[in-house]
Amino acid sequence: MQLTLANHPVTDIEFGAPARLEGTVLTIDSDELRPIVLKDDAIVSVDFEIAHPGDSCRAGPIFDVIEPRAKEPGSGADFPGILGAPVTAGIGTTHVLSGAAVSVLAEISPDLTRSATGRVLEMSGAPAEASAYSSLKHLLVIPHTKAGLTRQAVERAYRIAGIRAAVAVGRIALTESPRSVHQFDPIGPAINDRSGLPRIAYVGQIFSRQRKPEVDEPILYGANTDGMLPVMLHPDEWLDGAIVPSLHSWFGGTETYFYQNHPIILDLYRRHNARQINFVGTLATIAGSDNFDRERHCKAAASLVKWNLQAEGAVLSKYGGGLPHADLAETARLLEGMGIKTSVMVSDVSRDRRVESALLFNVPEVNAIVYNGGNGTHWEVPKVNRVVAATPEFTKLMTGPMTIDASNIVGVTNQQGASRMRAMVY
Amino acid sequence: MRVVHYLNQFFGGIGAEEQAGSGFAIREDAVGPGKLLENLLGGEARVVLTIICGDNYAVENQEEVTAAALAKVRAAGADLFVAGPCFDAGRYGMAAGALCSAVQTELGIPAITAMNAENPGVDLFREKLYIVDSGTSIAKMRDVLVKMASLGKKLAAKEVIGPPVEEGYLPRGWLHDQLVNKTAATRLVDMLLEKMNGKPFESEMPATAFVPVPMPAAINDLSKARVMLITDGGLVPKGNPDRIEGTAATRWGAYNIAGRDELRSEEYEVSHGGYDTRFVQQDPDRLVPLDAMREMERNGVIGKLHDEFISTCGRSNPLSNTRRLGREIAEKIKRDGVDAVILTST
Repeated sequence: MQLTLANHPVTDIEFGAPARLEGTVLTIDSDELRPIVLKDDAIVSVDFEIAHPGDSCRAGPIFDVIEPRAKEPGSGADFPGILGAPVTAGIGTTHVLSGAAVSVLAEISPDLTRSATGRVLEMSGAPAEASAYSSLKHLLVIPHTKAGLTRQAVERAYRIAGIRAAVAVGRIALTESPRSVHQFDPIGPAINDRSGLPRIAYVGQIFSRQRKPEVDEPILYGANTDGMLPVMLHPDEWLDGAIVPSLHSWFGGTETYFYQNHPIILDLYRRHNARQINFVGTLATIAGSDNFDRERHCKAAASLVKWNLQAEGAVLSKYGGGLPHADLAETARLLEGMGIKTSVMVSDVSRDRRVESALLFNVPEVNAIVYNGGNGTHWEVPKVNRVVAATPEFTKLMTGPMTIDASNIVGVTNQQGASRMRAMVY
Repeated sequence: MRVVHYLNQFFGGIGAEEQAGSGFAIREDAVGPGKLLENLLGGEARVVLTIICGDNYAVENQEEVTAAALAKVRAAGADLFVAGPCFDAGRYGMAAGALCSAVQTELGIPAITAMNAENPGVDLFREKLYIVDSGTSIAKMRDVLVKMASLGKKLAAKEVIGPPVEEGYLPRGWLHDQLVNKTAATRLVDMLLEKMNGKPFESEMPATAFVPVPMPAAINDLSKARVMLITDGGLVPKGNPDRIEGTAATRWGAYNIAGRDELRSEEYEVSHGGYDTRFVQQDPDRLVPLDAMREMERNGVIGKLHDEFISTCGRSNPLSNTRRLGREIAEKIKRDGVDAVILTST
């Protein structure tokens, strides 16, 4: 298995016809895109907008951010198991419109968001400096769903709309030759030309059973993860559409974009290609709903890392809210007990900004902790020239000037490794 | 800059341990380490007053000493209050911490002290004060005073204070967000490689050790005990009469269940944003098992189920808050004569 990424940098997006990529200018034909989103009966109409870095523009609430990509014909399926057959992701060539994003807005009531403003995409000012998403050129997709659907059905419609639109936009690149082509060095437990280099694995949670997944909730190859045990994945599967966030993830700092550009996997690959490490593989796992469930997942994950990947070190990341910290720490503890060194990444849970409230575990072996901050940062943001929201209520709420929490700016408190917001002990 | 300096009997030149009972005294200029401090502060800085007190006297008469010191510091028109350095002298550290804290809070004048990390004064005052890490060696007096002078000047000028390692003070235990250049992913892999290579690495968050909660004495005869149900799962009567917050709750409520055999879904709701509440909404007994407890009551397994259950929401709740909630709830349980509690969580 080896993925080839064909990169087409995008410096500008505009609406027009026909859809095309000229140099680095991407032209999107909204009349062509609209019926693709409306294929889903749950969606009755859809609006499109464009936002550029530096614009006096605020958009939200953001449901997901996706990089427009498309598989080259014959290379397999886009988002296998969700949009197409559940074939293995990470094979063949995938065309990437790098620098561009397709971002889906949610049409919900403000009281359903974590705070009144929900998750905001801010294209300028201090918050924009703290989010990787603010430097992308965004096609904003604003689907309007039909009345009477459950919240979960609405969110599922957003998910499908977003990835369909992202693939449709990605296909614009298929007729062009890429600016650059990238392949990662082969990896896996069987690679034997790297003796002496530290064998490193990645263990990433992709769901937390704080909530039971919906029957039709697509997460891993379209499966909802219910009843799953930790599963070994080639890193290219993460990067190539095998995993999308769960439907409620927009509260928790996980977006499709950073599965496609997974910061931890890309960092491990970078060092693998530089022959500093031997990247032996990854596990996708979930956080349990109770201690019995937790023990099952953590034990299974540790065994796979030890006996199947034969790793000497592992980096671990979590998903969701507070409870998954327990699964993260327990997996790391088991690995340390097997002689496998670990480092873990946690999210900010300290609401009173005291160190004593910062960690949800106290395990002596788990002593290498990366701490994402965010709970202590609030920005005064000005009135912006343009607000893009799915409802008039939100347009009013988000116009500004106002105070906004860092955790309410999409990307700032990302849990996939993209965050640069760190809580320091003072 | 006008500086008031606090010293114990030893550094104030009165005498060693045998003088630890000596009372509150003042000198109208710099004494002992105060002279070097004045020098290091430089420019117009003057130690206009030195307060000296024996370690025992200061600790045993803290209220009196604090009141006297506050009056002197106010009258001196101080811009900065300095205490110590105290090194590993425990009583000195506690007195210095108490005085710095009082001067800061009561008079709004910046204060600085210095102690060894193990000094009991550190645990008591680290959250409130900038305490320079003095180590234990008096031979390091000059180094310590250099750091105190530098930090003291910044405090007096209301400058932004940098992180502990940069400024030389003991971590106060407060989190400050900072935008850094490296992503969390890169820091995560960096830290693992340092750990694997046996190099020194620094975890971004220290674990906090907590005093273990002692196990209460066992109930001799459960069939005579009054048992209460408590949950942090956020179950509240419809309308949430106590307005218990679904995140970082500051309130709790006690709700009457006398004469009921089960909790009916139409009478309750859940105020909790951290778990899938649908199953509790369907049947609140899944969270607060009134039905099962009534059965035990009927069968004589327990003596009596208390007529109220208590509820709050445990989601993302800082300890500074939950300690108070716990204390209040414990007081009520004692008052109500409850013998045993079953805590249900989510």
